[in-house]
Amino acid sequence: MPVNTINGEPYALDVQGVGRRFGEFWAIEDVTLKVRPGERRAILGPNGAGKTTLFNVITGDFPASSGTIRMFGLDVTTAPVEKRIAHGLRRTYQHALLFDGLTVAETLFLAVCGVAGGWRKILPLRRDDENRDRAIELAHRAGLGDQIDHQVELLSHGQRRQLEIGLALAEDPTLLLLDEPAAGLSPAERPKLAELLRTLPDSVAVVLIEHDMDIALQTSQSVTVLHNGRMLAEGTPQDVMKDADVHRVYVGGSHGH
Amino acid sequence: MRATVFLLPLALLPIFANEFWLVHIFSRALILGIIALSLTFLATYLGVVSFAQATMAGIAGYVLAYFGPNTVDVGHELPFAAAIPIALLMSVLSGAVVGLIARRSQGIYAIMITLAIAVAFFYFTRQNYSFFNGWTGFSGLRSPQIGDTALRTPVVFYLLCLGVAALLLAMVSGFVRSPMGLTIQAVRDARRRVQAIGIPLTTPIVSAYAFAGFIAGSGGILNVWYQERISSFSVGLGPIVDILTISVIGGLRHPSGAFIGAVAFVLLDTFAIDFVDRERFNTLIGVTLLIIVLLAPRGLRGLWDDTVARFGNARDGGENTGKSQQST
Ligand SMILES: Nc1ncnc2c1ncn2[C@@H]1O[C@H](COP(=O)(O)OP(=O)(O)OP(=O)(O)O)[C@@H](O)[C@H]1O
Ligand SMILES: [Mg+2]
Repeated sequence: MPVNTINGEPYALDVQGVGRRFGEFWAIEDVTLKVRPGERRAILGPNGAGKTTLFNVITGDFPASSGTIRMFGLDVTTAPVEKRIAHGLRRTYQHALLFDGLTVAETLFLAVCGVAGGWRKILPLRRDDENRDRAIELAHRAGLGDQIDHQVELLSHGQRRQLEIGLALAEDPTLLLLDEPAAGLSPAERPKLAELLRTLPDSVAVVLIEHDMDIALQTSQSVTVLHNGRMLAEGTPQDVMKDADVHRVYVGGSHGH
Repeated sequence: MRATVFLLPLALLPIFANEFWLVHIFSRALILGIIALSLTFLATYLGVVSFAQATMAGIAGYVLAYFGPNTVDVGHELPFAAAIPIALLMSVLSGAVVGLIARRSQGIYAIMITLAIAVAFFYFTRQNYSFFNGWTGFSGLRSPQIGDTALRTPVVFYLLCLGVAALLLAMVSGFVRSPMGLTIQAVRDARRRVQAIGIPLTTPIVSAYAFAGFIAGSGGILNVWYQERISSFSVGLGPIVDILTISVIGGLRHPSGAFIGAVAFVLLDTFAIDFVDRERFNTLIGVTLLIIVLLAPRGLRGLWDDTVARFGNARDGGENTGKSQQST
C-alpha cells in the first residue's frame, strides 16, 4: 500500500510508477513523484529526458500507458483533460499553444470561463460580463495590460510566453505545471517572470521544468532529475547538486543547451 | 452600419431589375449563398471543410416537402407554421449528428467523413420511398400564402431571400462574438489548448455544426420554394461540388465571401451557355476556380479586401499594419 497522504492530507500531485509509450519507445518509464500542496518543485534533465512527456501525462494531453496519477486524493489517471483542470490543474506549454485568431482579452476570458463556466453562452458577450473583468485583471497580472485588445498572432515571443502564464493563472489554480517558462525570454524579461512566480500564493503547488540549473535550484525547495525517461535523482537542491549521477549526466557531456 | 450601405441598394433592386434577374440570378444566388455560408462559417470559424452542407439543406427541403403541399402521394400535410420549424429543427439535428461523427476529424479526414455521410444520404434518398419517394422525389411544392400573395411572387421572394440572408449574416456575426463563438474559434486555433483551459471539445464542435445546419436548412427551405421540387439530385454530388465551388470562389476567410462566390457562380452558370456549350460548362467552372485559387488564394472576398487595403494604404502613405516585427 503506497503512502498517499502527508500528515493526513493528500498530496497535490501523486504520480505512481507512471510510464508513457510511443510505439515501442518508452518516453518515460516508472516515474514516481509526490508533490505537497504549496510545494515548489523543479524538474531537471537533458533534452529528450521526458520532462514534457511527464507533464503531458499528468494533464491528460497523452494518457499514461502505465501507473496511476492522483490530484488532491482524486484518481485522475484516465480522466479527460477538462476534468483535471476543473480540479485545480493548469499548465503552460513549452512551445506556446495559443489562439492566434483571438485577442489577448478574449483568450484570457475563455480561460476564466473554462473554469468558472459561461463559455456555453450563445448571445454576444456583454461589456459588463464578470468573467470579462476577471480576464482583464488577469492580463494585467501577466504583464499584458497594454496588449488587451491585441491579436494574439501579432504578439512578440516574450508576450506569447506571458500569455501562456496568464492562461495558467486563471481562476486560482492549486497545481501549476510550467514547462520552461523562461525559454527564449530576453534578459530584461526574465526578472519579471521570476517576480511573478515569487508572488504566487503559497497554496499553489508549482512544478517547474527548467533547463537552466541555476534558476531551477534557486527557485525550488526540491528537485527531481529525469534522464532517459527514468528518475535519476530526487531531493533538496543541495543534495541533488552533490549527486554523482547528476554530475555525470550534466557535466559529462550530454547536456545540450 | 456598413451593412446598410450594401443592403439598401439591394433592397431597391426590384425597382430596376426585371423578373428574370430578380428570381433566376439574384434570388438563386442568395439561396446558394446561404447554403455556402454554412460551409464558409465552418471553414472560417471552426477551421473545418464540410462536404455535408448541401445534405443539411436537402434535409430541411425534404422535411418541408413531406409536411407541405405537394403533388405526390407521400407525406402528411401540416400548416407551414409547423412544417417550417420542424424542417429547421431537422437540419439543426442533422448538423449536430454530422458534427458528432466528424468531431475528431480535421483537414482531409473531415472532408472524407462529411463526404461519406453526404453520399450515403444521397443513396438512401434514392432507395427509400416512404419518406423520400425514391429518386423522383417531390414535385408541385408550393410556398406559403400571405393573404393573396404567394411568397414565391418574384419581388416578394427576392426580398424574402435578401432578408433571410441578411438576418443569417447578422446572426453569424453576433454568434462569433458570443462566448460559444469564441470557443469555436479557439478550437480552430489550438484544440489541445482548449482542453487545457478546461473546455471539452465536443460541445463547441457540435454547436458549430448544428448552427451550420440551421443556416443550410434556411437555404434549403428557400430552395424548395424556388425549385418547386426536390429529389435525390438535390443532395447529389452536383450540388455538393457547387456549394464547395461557391465557397472557395468567394473565399473561406469571411462569411460574406459565400454571397460574392454565389453571384459569380450563378452568372457563370446562367450566361456561360451563350459562349460555351453545356458539356463544357464544368470545364469552364473548373478553369475559373483554378484561376481564382491561383491568383487570389483567399477568394474574391480576399481580393476585395486586398484591393481596399491597397487603396487605403496608398491614402495613408503606405503605412504598415503594425504587425510585430520580432525576428529572433
Ligand atoms: N508525441 C510523441 N510521439 C513520439 N515520440 C515522442 C512524442 N513526444 C515525445 N516523444 C519522445 O519522447 C522523448 C522525450 O521527449 P520530451 O519532449 O518529453 O523531452 P523533454 O525532456 O521535454 O526535452 P526538451 O528538454 O528538449 O524539451 C523524446 O525522445 C521524444 O522524441
Ligand atoms: Mg520539453
